Amino acid sequence: MSQTPVLHVDNLQAHFRSRYFGVNREVRAVDGITFDVFPNEIYGLAGESSSGKTTLIKTIAGLLKPPLEMVGGVARFSFLPGYDALARAPADEVLAIRWSKLSYIMQGSMNVLNPLRRVGNSFEDFAWRHLGGSRADFAAHAARHLARVDLDATVLRAYPHELSGGMRQRVTIALATICKPEFIIADEPTTALDVVVQKNVLGMIRQIQQEMGSSVLFVTHDMGVHAALTDRLGIMYAGRLVEEAPTARLFAMPLHPYSQHLIGSLPRIGQTGPRKSLEGAPPSLANPPPGCRFHPRCPLAMDICRITVPAMVTQAPGHRVACHAVNGGTA
Amino acid sequence: MSPVLELKNVTKRFRRGGLLSSHSVEAVKDVSFDVAPNGPEIFTIIGESGSGKSTLARMILGIHAPTSGELLLGGRSVAGLVRSDRTAFMGEVQPIFQNPFEAFNPLKQMDRYLFLTAERFGGATAGKDAEAAADEALRQVGLTLAEIRGRFPHEMSGGQLQRVAIARALIAKPRLIVADEPVSMVDASLRMAIVNLFGKLRDDLGLSIVYITHDLATAYYISDRLVIMQRGCVVEAGDARTVLAAPSHPYSKTLRDAVLTPDSIGLFRSSFTKSQ
Repeated sequence: MSQTPVLHVDNLQAHFRSRYFGVNREVRAVDGITFDVFPNEIYGLAGESSSGKTTLIKTIAGLLKPPLEMVGGVARFSFLPGYDALARAPADEVLAIRWSKLSYIMQGSMNVLNPLRRVGNSFEDFAWRHLGGSRADFAAHAARHLARVDLDATVLRAYPHELSGGMRQRVTIALATICKPEFIIADEPTTALDVVVQKNVLGMIRQIQQEMGSSVLFVTHDMGVHAALTDRLGIMYAGRLVEEAPTARLFAMPLHPYSQHLIGSLPRIGQTGPRKSLEGAPPSLANPPPGCRFHPRCPLAMDICRITVPAMVTQAPGHRVACHAVNGGTA
Repeated sequence: MSPVLELKNVTKRFRRGGLLSSHSVEAVKDVSFDVAPNGPEIFTIIGESGSGKSTLARMILGIHAPTSGELLLGGRSVAGLVRSDRTAFMGEVQPIFQNPFEAFNPLKQMDRYLFLTAERFGGATAGKDAEAAADEALRQVGLTLAEIRGRFPHEMSGGQLQRVAIARALIAKPRLIVADEPVSMVDASLRMAIVNLFGKLRDDLGLSIVYITHDLATAYYISDRLVIMQRGCVVEAGDARTVLAAPSHPYSKTLRDAVLTPDSIGLFRSSFTKSQ
């Protein structure tokens, strides 16, 4: 792809730092991540809990609160080219692009919507500032937009508790897309929903993304969701990206042993063979193993894996992997 | 051989609202099935949120009494147990909860739970007996007492915590384990270890497990028989692999078609490229 990326992330590092009584503790939750998200695509990020997915998103969205600090690297949006990251840009410029250019679909829809305000008021709180116009025009616009996610205009008069979980999640999707943002970050938006509702909501995210031509950074640990929705997929393990490829290719031929395990261990209806599990547990980010962070659990671990951090090597167009065993002599 | 657990026309109604505007919600409607009629099995209850599967689990555990109908454990009614029988009942039916991070008190060392269970249900009187019982149960789930001793929940991963929860349940030497969504909060790379452990407990220890889930793929992988619930009713029941391979009720078909697998690549994109 020769297009300019909407989001360019280069060697991004974000650490949790605390200093108490002269003792410094540092948790390297995001440790040197590099990837690009291009216009009009859904980029998936997979990884289990405590692999640093949420920290990565927070850093990209500029939502840094102590003890989380952005230590180095670049997370640059094409609509805010003058600054290396949102956290480094002045507050008024960030305020102008937040929600109009960059929006966020969160996991707990109940936490996004104010339980004491009607849904219509929440829409005004989030988006009126960016869209302008009279209150009546805005309400009509919101109602038209809600129709895209198959919701009735009466929803605007409802309180969040009157809606089911699936309806609330569709409200948050409508809320995140009403300003036609160029970039949407979706953090596990369907994890709390059951399978039937989940499928509807995912279909809606894809439909809206294609109508508006936005880019989506979609984060979840559910590999089935990634397979169905995303165009390209990055796999994270313990704060680092270990593999990246177009989704279909990654599922057809995963190269990194961790990705192979993630995909190979999924049980499928119709297959009865035994599924193996990895030995050991994900490492603590406060004290990660040296070298490749996967080596204590890796079936292919060699001596070099315990010493040197493997570099991301492009194995095929668009397919990058960080593994000494796969990249062989090139490392 | 009589079934470990029998449900006969079990109904549970919850009363909602105040004095003047009360109405009742039927969470479970006229459900009948038996678990393990011919030897140990993993019996799965599948359903969406709000289908009554957790209410059913609470009734099996004796936390709620059914509004009508009867639950029989080993031929004896669960309702109206007096105190001493109730302790024996709790020893025979043990729970495993969804979120291992919430199931344990963060300020309590993990081994305390094991020793307490051993004293209460395992008949251990001396500390040494309790330690032996805890160690034996932990070995069955692939841990040892030395690894657990003195550790707090935050020091352990979700998979380890869930295995300790299973070990705790095993100390009581139950006949039935009720596991309510036991793997939904566990890391992806450890999930299959827990599911495989259930299979091992059934085969090696002869335990029956009521496995409550909305994940059809793991249900297909591990369970022997299942029921599918919708809005409090059982809509389909039978052999797990037969039902999931060829569901007959429309709701079961909807559920089955909504499962996203590694094979559903580009599922939502295809509809768009056609219209382009």
